[in-house]
Amino acid sequence: MNIQHRTSNTCWLFPLLLFLVLPLASSAAIPLTTSDGFAVPQPGRKFVFPRDHGSHPEFKIEWWYVTGHLFAKDGRRFGYQATFFRRSAPRRATNEPNTDQLYLAHMALLDERSGKFLHQERINRAGWDAGSATNGLDVFNGPWRLTMPDPKSETMTLAGGVRAETAFSLTLKPTKPLVVFGIDAVSRKGADPTAASHYLTFTRLETTGTLRLGAETIAVTGLSWMDHEISSSQLDGAQVGWDWTAVQFDDGTELMIYVLRRKDGSIDRFSTLAHVDREGRVKQVPADQFGWKPAGQWKSPATGGVYPAGIEIRVPEGYGPERVLRLEPLAAAQELTGDLGGISYWEGACRVRNTAGKVVGSAFLELTGYSDGLADRMR
Amino acid sequence: MPQDRLACIGPSLTNHPTSSGPENSGRGAILWLLLRRFSLRHWKEAPWQSGLLVLILALGVAVYFSIRLANRAVLASFRNFTDLITEQSDWILKSPAGELNDTILPELRRALGSEPVHLVPIAETTATEPPSSPDEPIGQRRTYQILGVDLIGIQNVRSAAKSSVTSATAQRSWFNQSAASPGSVTNRFWELFNHPRAVFISEALAREKALQVGGSFAVLVNEAVIRLEVAGVIPESPERPAAPVSMLVMNLPALQALSGRADRIDRVEFILEPGGDLDARRADVKRLLDEASQSRWRIESPTQRRESGEMMTRAFRLNLTILSLIALLVGLYLIFQALDGAVIRRRDEIGILRSLGVEEGLIRQAWLLEAAALGLVGGIFGAALGWVGAQVAVRVVGQTVNALYHATSAQSAALTPSELLLAVALAVVAGVLAGLAPAQSAATTPPAQLLVRGGLPAPGPWVLRSRSLAFALAFIGVALALLPPLRFEGGIRFPLGGYGAALCWIFSGGIFAGELLHLVSRWLSGGKAGRVALRLDGQPQRGWPHPEGSTGAFALPSRFDLGSRSPLLRLAISQVRPPTGRHRLAAASLCCAVAMTAGMAILVGSFSTTMRGWIERTFEADLYMSSAGAQSASTDNRISTTVWKKIVDRPDVLAANVIQAGEIRLPGGPTMLVGASMEFAQSHAHLAWQNQPSPEDFAAAVRGEVVFVSESFTERFQKKAGDTLELPTPSGLKPVRIAAVFADYGNERGSIVTERLRMTEWFDDELASSIILKLKPGVEPDRVRSELVGENPGLSVFTNSHIRREILRIFRQTFSITYALEFIGVTVAVIGLAMTLASLLLQRRNELTTLRALGMTHPEIARAMAVEGLLTASAGLAAGLVTSLALGWLLIFVINKQTFGWTLQADLPLLELAALGALVLAAGSGVGLLVGRWGAALPADREE
Repeated sequence: MNIQHRTSNTCWLFPLLLFLVLPLASSAAIPLTTSDGFAVPQPGRKFVFPRDHGSHPEFKIEWWYVTGHLFAKDGRRFGYQATFFRRSAPRRATNEPNTDQLYLAHMALLDERSGKFLHQERINRAGWDAGSATNGLDVFNGPWRLTMPDPKSETMTLAGGVRAETAFSLTLKPTKPLVVFGIDAVSRKGADPTAASHYLTFTRLETTGTLRLGAETIAVTGLSWMDHEISSSQLDGAQVGWDWTAVQFDDGTELMIYVLRRKDGSIDRFSTLAHVDREGRVKQVPADQFGWKPAGQWKSPATGGVYPAGIEIRVPEGYGPERVLRLEPLAAAQELTGDLGGISYWEGACRVRNTAGKVVGSAFLELTGYSDGLADRMR
Repeated sequence: MPQDRLACIGPSLTNHPTSSGPENSGRGAILWLLLRRFSLRHWKEAPWQSGLLVLILALGVAVYFSIRLANRAVLASFRNFTDLITEQSDWILKSPAGELNDTILPELRRALGSEPVHLVPIAETTATEPPSSPDEPIGQRRTYQILGVDLIGIQNVRSAAKSSVTSATAQRSWFNQSAASPGSVTNRFWELFNHPRAVFISEALAREKALQVGGSFAVLVNEAVIRLEVAGVIPESPERPAAPVSMLVMNLPALQALSGRADRIDRVEFILEPGGDLDARRADVKRLLDEASQSRWRIESPTQRRESGEMMTRAFRLNLTILSLIALLVGLYLIFQALDGAVIRRRDEIGILRSLGVEEGLIRQAWLLEAAALGLVGGIFGAALGWVGAQVAVRVVGQTVNALYHATSAQSAALTPSELLLAVALAVVAGVLAGLAPAQSAATTPPAQLLVRGGLPAPGPWVLRSRSLAFALAFIGVALALLPPLRFEGGIRFPLGGYGAALCWIFSGGIFAGELLHLVSRWLSGGKAGRVALRLDGQPQRGWPHPEGSTGAFALPSRFDLGSRSPLLRLAISQVRPPTGRHRLAAASLCCAVAMTAGMAILVGSFSTTMRGWIERTFEADLYMSSAGAQSASTDNRISTTVWKKIVDRPDVLAANVIQAGEIRLPGGPTMLVGASMEFAQSHAHLAWQNQPSPEDFAAAVRGEVVFVSESFTERFQKKAGDTLELPTPSGLKPVRIAAVFADYGNERGSIVTERLRMTEWFDDELASSIILKLKPGVEPDRVRSELVGENPGLSVFTNSHIRREILRIFRQTFSITYALEFIGVTVAVIGLAMTLASLLLQRRNELTTLRALGMTHPEIARAMAVEGLLTASAGLAAGLVTSLALGWLLIFVINKQTFGWTLQADLPLLELAALGALVLAAGSGVGLLVGRWGAALPADREE
């Protein structure tokens, strides 16, 4: 994970992505709010939909994170990412509603055939050009938008693109029920009891739509993944970054893994592997029961960050169709260079192979904090 | 003497490989030899004269060039300020009248769908430095342009300009600039956006005021003095022009609050994100916006926006350019004269060269090359001098544009390589043009004639002597003056016929000046024809007979045979009887300069008289007030509602006129809409009505059914009383009828006056532009003024006499550059006269030797030359003054009326004209005396 400080001028946005990370452990009681007055995810929360697909301004940080694999009729393959972040301004008083929000969004598209990776960031203050509904899913930033017009089917529409170089208009239809990761509706990320999130995911979204690339308009179909994560937490000082992946197996099951890396090179005990079976049932194991091993290196010519060029995962028995998986990026250069947010990271489409080299599914891999420690940047 | 020259030129020529080598290289080598031995030597031997010639040409180029640079600098200030902080916009959306409400922004985004376009909402206002004293003159303090933008949103524009595959270029960011004080707002990201006074300043201002991040400075916004905290320096990038010193940037909501215009924006700029077919996408965006508009807004390209700004000042700039060309034209004439003189002076050499077989073509080329070289050197000096002049001119031009049109930030004029090239090219072309006729004369005059020493002076080309041409030009001028103006988009008119008429009359006047010199000399010498010319053999010879004979149309009976009374006078008069071509040219150029200067003086004098009358009639109230920030025609500083209401409610106020003014755009172009109290206008104000409105008209005006318009409005939009208009307002189109027309010399764009209460309704805006107070009888205006200024330090409060003075001062200031240009024109013409006389003396050096041998003293020769100068200057002056009367009429009743639509009362500024006459005569005789003294000591064999 390579969260890289690109230029000193942009580090003001840095804390934003930091908060996507997570907590240190403790068995202490979970407070209702953080010290700065934001809500802390509470166990046993009963989610109400479509309201909980929408925004939760009582929490400090929230994101809607869509990644997917698209295929044209001629066999061309594309990977795409569409992420909408919300970050709240510091609260002036705990009893006042918090309306001041900063919205950041990232879009990316990989054309596997040409190897061309396009990406763009957008930032806006809450208002006419960015915002999110609180009664259902409708989040937008400039011309980019993710909505759920029909809460009953939970089908979503996504309008995104990268400048005028590419644009995608996609319909995302869940083929499996929504998953809530974590224990008792709370996904712990660190020892601090506030370092936790509500982590809601559509793990398998049947995707159809059109992709415009240059002058070409291509009808595409594919498979997407959508995370909606709500938290107010911060990263522990001992953590330097995280790796995350969402694997969609061809057999209709999925894996979600996040690995929190510590300064001493070890893996934080709050790192988790979760398996989702065909029916959408989740079971998860902690860090000591799965293996995560970088394979090879790729150095970014843009930022100088050195990222793993692939990952080998050892999966415990009963947590998927394979015991050993290899994530193989469709292209090495899938780095978002953090022009606005000041944080560069690698987020890319991968093939998933078993030990025999057979492709058994697709994955999206996220690698952050590979040029400097996130926690150091926090101080 | 010719032999020694032959010795130096001849052997080289005869030994030169013209006959053995390739013809072209041989010609080139001879040409170079001619330039070196023939031209350069003369230059070296008379360095002062060469220097003066270069200087004259440089001055001509410099004047034109400095005005051009200054105009360009002022025009550059029409650039969209946002270009400096973001990228060039593709479209700009504005309200046809008033401001936009920011509630349209989501609608605009919806209208554009997923089209990747950045929307940049912008609010702009002006601020000034706080006044140092309540009595300081208007327009002396710097006006800041404050731009309100979404500081976070514009980061997207910056980012999108970069390709995803290239890395970010390191440049200063808006945020995280290190603050001098740890507690500064800039150190806390969120507070920056909620800070109501955080401002970004230009590097230039930071340097000038030694301001650091976290520091603060005071400005005047509306009528309040506030302190702005420096949050940072506006990031600059090599691809964009540097932010001007007067540019300030604030977060949009902070600026809206500061200027008292919550939710209001001035425009939305649209910047297409890169990629795809930009032209097609630009057209798509325009179509989508037009579809959504339903006449609620207008979309223009940045070019259109700039052009409308350029058009606004086009007439003004064109007038300056025409004036600046006078100096160049006079300079051109001087080059002609100098080269022509050189041909005559070097004719024995030319004769030798021709005798030696040097071809005509080569001699012509050598002369033209010499002229071009002169132009090159003059052009380089002219560009340098022009650049220096432009630094002064830009401020003066900028001040005038500020006062009349809009706030310009132009403070210095940049010299670009292309401009430099233009100046040099202009000078070279001028040099070659001026050298054409002398080159032809040198090349084609037969060697035998060239070698006759002391040949007779030429009477000048036919065009300088043709009375019929002079009459024809005068009549063509009359016909041109009757033509209507050319009309352009935006209600701009250009009096092409008027300028054509001026040109015809100036040329005509020039010819008459020569004729006048001829007549006067005949008259003074008692009608005796012919000049006394001395030849090498010392024998007097009858000179060139006058072509028209002694019974020409202008022949006058002689009253005084002055020539017979004084040998000196006789000698002087004989030199101009008949005048040589050079005398005629000198008189013509003086005539041109005098005519233009005096014509402009008549215009300014008439304008001044008319303005005084208008001011006396119109400005009758006791106190006039506006925001002290109202330093130019386009400042946005106004008076907040609470303040003006408190003022008009004072017990010592008898009546008040609260005025609101704003720009609106009619189909013919932009104009001013002014809301005023109709009751006040009816009872307390005396506008200069062309047709007095009836009480019913005033009542209808209160209801918003009729309006009153200024005379310049009727000219510009071709409307008259009784016509109807549709006023664009934020609450829709308002149909009104024009009830009456009044004279207004304060605004050339025209103005429409309506009832203020209606304007408040239509624009949902109560801020006042100015307030006029009539005080109760017995109340002392100065006391009320002191109280008002004490209570509101940000208000400018003028008493009646003070505002009258200020208006006249600003009026005079707008003409200051005109005076400067005229002065240069006259100076160049006087130098031209000096050169003419010097060159004549050089030509007559053998005569001088003879005169000295005959016993004439040096002072006597000098006095004779002074008389010759005086005579030439008198002819130029007299013809110039007569021409100036015609030009004055033309400027007042044709050019001014067609350009600005103002009717002026003609007035002759006799004192100024007399002063100009005295100056020209004194200069004419003075330079004659000086040149005569120098010439009297000239040895017979001196070459230059």
